[in-house]
Amino acid sequence: MVCLDRVRKAYEGFVAVDDLSLEIPTGRIFGLLGPNGAGKTSTIRMMIGITVPDSGTVRIFGAPFERATLRRIGYLPEERGLYRRMTASANLVFLGQLAGLSAATALERGRAWAARLEIERWLPRRVEELSKGMQQKIQFIAALLHDPELIVMDEPFAGLDPVNSMQLKDVLVDLRASGKTIIFSTHRMDQVEKLCDSICLIDRGKIVLRGGLAEIKASDGRRFVQIDYDGDGSFLAQSPLIESFNHYGKHIEMRLKAGADSQELLRAAMARLTVRRFQVMEPSLEQVFMDRVGRRDE
Amino acid sequence: MNNFSLRKIWLVAKREYLERVLTRSFILATLATPALLALLAALPSMLTSHLATGLAMNSGHTIHVAVACDDSTLGNLVRDRLTALSSDTYVVTLESSVSPEQRKALQHRVEDQDLDGFVWLDAQAAATHSVRYTTRNVTDFVLQTRLALAVAYGIQAERLLRGGVSPSEIGDILSGIDLKVIKVGAASTFDALRGALVVIVMVCVIFISLLTYGVVVMRSVLEEKASRITEVLLCSTTAQELMTGKIIGVGSVGATQIGVWLGMCALAVWRSAYLRAMIAVLEVGPAVFIWFVVFYLLGFLLYSAIFAGVGAAFNSVDEAQQWNFVITIPLIIASSLILPVVNSPDSAIAVSASIFPFCSPVLMFERLAIQNPPFWQVALAIAALLATIFAMFMVSARIYRVGILMYGKRPSPRELWRWIKQS
Repeated sequence: MVCLDRVRKAYEGFVAVDDLSLEIPTGRIFGLLGPNGAGKTSTIRMMIGITVPDSGTVRIFGAPFERATLRRIGYLPEERGLYRRMTASANLVFLGQLAGLSAATALERGRAWAARLEIERWLPRRVEELSKGMQQKIQFIAALLHDPELIVMDEPFAGLDPVNSMQLKDVLVDLRASGKTIIFSTHRMDQVEKLCDSICLIDRGKIVLRGGLAEIKASDGRRFVQIDYDGDGSFLAQSPLIESFNHYGKHIEMRLKAGADSQELLRAAMARLTVRRFQVMEPSLEQVFMDRVGRRDE
Repeated sequence: MNNFSLRKIWLVAKREYLERVLTRSFILATLATPALLALLAALPSMLTSHLATGLAMNSGHTIHVAVACDDSTLGNLVRDRLTALSSDTYVVTLESSVSPEQRKALQHRVEDQDLDGFVWLDAQAAATHSVRYTTRNVTDFVLQTRLALAVAYGIQAERLLRGGVSPSEIGDILSGIDLKVIKVGAASTFDALRGALVVIVMVCVIFISLLTYGVVVMRSVLEEKASRITEVLLCSTTAQELMTGKIIGVGSVGATQIGVWLGMCALAVWRSAYLRAMIAVLEVGPAVFIWFVVFYLLGFLLYSAIFAGVGAAFNSVDEAQQWNFVITIPLIIASSLILPVVNSPDSAIAVSASIFPFCSPVLMFERLAIQNPPFWQVALAIAALLATIFAMFMVSARIYRVGILMYGKRPSPRELWRWIKQS
């Protein structure tokens, strides 16, 4: 669907995206992760031709980027923008018309989406009277009005409360079910874990990690261990088997060293403690994220 | 310029237009400005009602003037002349006595408002050509001018009569001459001063509205940039479509305002005999109005394209301000040349400045209105203007394309140049 090949973009004084190659499959939800300033927005802007890469190529729908393809893309920018003095529905009609719809169709679809997102009664209001979350929903609707095949969203969850986040997540899942491809950037791992089929983690303009969510977690190995116990477990910190150790009193979280055997750790624990629970688990994406980019400032 | 969609330009222009026109401030400014101007224009004449009646001529109010003159021939000549100048406005009575008592009596009558004023025309006054007019209202310049004319006429005619010239000849000898200035090639006669005045007013309208609406275009770009809506728009429109739509939309707002004002003027002219008379006197042909529209539009396109580029390059009006000044320099130069060009429209400076595209909207229009400049000069000026507009649109659209997404830092001239070269 979208294919970046050795793409590079430099701004005055710094490299925003450096030699980045990516392939995004059709019909999936793809998460572009990274800390603030990693180059997520720069990458997204190049995907949809708002900016042009200094070198490298961008292919979209199997062909080099051209403006006509923008009709098949819905874009939610990081910096939300609506005409504040116009009503929400007038904004939707205007943006829908620019995307090629008739005014009537734009209004009809806008209403349908607004009903779905429960902001229908706010449509006749001026945008400046709307809360930030409502404005964001309107912006989201504007991106979907022309029924795009590819939906590109920069930080769609930023500024939404849990209820609205859930609503948005449900819509995205439905869109995927109807065959759309969705790309979104975020630094919130919980959303990614629930939603994404595959991800790409970038940091300082370079790819740190990419692939399907399951394989990424697996590639990091089942190396996370949690124990609930009675007794004094602090001696486990000295074990040669573990890399990190988090003690919560009657609960310990540990990360095994590469190649270490979890069963050996269990035997060592059982020798001195009453183990009530021993679980070997996949790392959460957050842990992976922290592992890969958290160290950089140290 | 490929994929240039007229529909999108239309949509952008329509939105821009409606958002601006349907505001209270626009409606207020459009209606209040002429009302205010009319009030300012009417106020002095309302205060000096005599002047107003003097101008209006047909208001019914008569002015009673006495002429004190012991020479009845001279007195009659003056009275007849003054009455002839405007019989229904002035009532002139003759007082044959020029004694000091008579003078006091007349002064009392003026104070008691029985008389509006009196002319003291004794033998000495006639001999020295120094005549006094005593009145309550010293600002009725129309009457004063006519009095001076009538008295001068009387003195001259009386002397001619004494020299044996027949009364029928006197009128012929003393009739003034009527100087008509004729513009070469033009069918109608053209009073140079009045014509120049109209042209200067029109030139000022061009000058002021280029600046005002150019700045509106710039502000509109800055607003859209600040509200971050540009990024959304750039997904479905090109920078050129966006900019062109914006310029047309704002330009139409300006045209609406000027149109409403012209309509009000037309209404005022239709309703007021005085204004009708003034328009008739001005003798401005339709060609001048056509050139006005042509150069107004071209000038607007040029300057708003530049202002749009400046707006896109910066983040706030404050930052753009210094560039504003740079943009207006050619307009300021052009405005300083308005009067010199009236005086010598064929001088080398006038010709070259009126072809220079940043000044031609003002100066070539001015030359066209007051003379017939050679065809090649007009053609060259319009061609140069069109070429510059095209170039400015290209340059500004490129700055627009890059600058509109740039926030924060102010670009250096070198960066601006890079923006123009790339994209």
